[in-house]
Amino acid sequence: MDNDQTDMNSALMVDGNAVAGQLEQIFGRDMTMAIARCAGCARDAQMGALMAFIRGPGIVLRCPACLSAIVRIVETPSATYLEARGAAYLRMAPQA
Amino acid sequence: MVQPVLEWQAGRVTAIRPETRQTKSFSFALPRWMAHRPGQHYDVRLTAPDGYQTQRSYSIASPPERLGEIELTVERIPDGEVSPYLHDVLMPGDQLELRGPIGGYFVWEVSLGGPLLLVGGGSGVVPLMAMLRHRAAQHSTVPARILYSSRTAEDVIYRDELDGMAAADPTFEPFYTFTRQPPTGWTGYRRRIDATMLAEVMRPFDKRARVYVCGPTLQVEAVANALVQMELPIERIRTERFGPSGA
Repeated sequence: MDNDQTDMNSALMVDGNAVAGQLEQIFGRDMTMAIARCAGCARDAQMGALMAFIRGPGIVLRCPACLSAIVRIVETPSATYLEARGAAYLRMAPQA
Repeated sequence: MVQPVLEWQAGRVTAIRPETRQTKSFSFALPRWMAHRPGQHYDVRLTAPDGYQTQRSYSIASPPERLGEIELTVERIPDGEVSPYLHDVLMPGDQLELRGPIGGYFVWEVSLGGPLLLVGGGSGVVPLMAMLRHRAAQHSTVPARILYSSRTAEDVIYRDELDGMAAADPTFEPFYTFTRQPPTGWTGYRRRIDATMLAEVMRPFDKRARVYVCGPTLQVEAVANALVQMELPIERIRTERFGPSGA
């Protein structure tokens, strides 16, 4: 990746909080305070604080520490795909 | 209490107010209104006649104390898919699909305490304004400051209201910085937010501050990195990135 593209990608990045609506639609609850443990570097991060790339055909959530892709979401007219190979686990508190 | 499933609902536009050249505030009456937490957002969905749908997230500007309605302040992105429609087409009385309130991460309520340091750039001030309006509605005396970066004097959203809040409340103070064209006679900051500026604004709060940073992604990155280098505990820093800056 050349520098212009790197800068462009970082300028387009938002937080996991920006896709809170899509996550809530899938999980049926707020997920921004849920913890995702990165399968790559084992660091924990709140899902609202993951690096979110949303301008492509799908959504990619990356680890803020090592940049590994933790969750990918693609919505098609007939189905929603959620791939989370990059997460060792998601941990969510019981709903109050 | 399990929260209700997030569903789209038709909000009716009750008022549209220009804020600056590029921003307007839209009030919506919601049939299934619920109190939000300051800092949360709503998703807005547009559907074209051929079925094509697109959606964007917009921060709530109003406080939860305003019942039955929400207000979203939206910056017009010239080549955007949603904001030009809101700015140029939407009229009072129209209906719009909305779902929310959304997000539990970038929120502040009076019960969380302070001192509170809000750092905003451009339309990143919107969720911070919901926090300040909530704080004022609750007559909170949690010490609060906002450091707000704009390009020019004309680009400052909510300027009168912020100054009015400060005049009425000795525990709140706004600080402005202008990155392109400060107002004539301006003696305050006239540069991008940097570590020196953050240290000056944060000084009375020391490292006890709870900090919320919202704005264009690269600005939020710079501010968050500066705060971490100032050894502010990372769990006291909450960020919300808006993507590339508007214009």
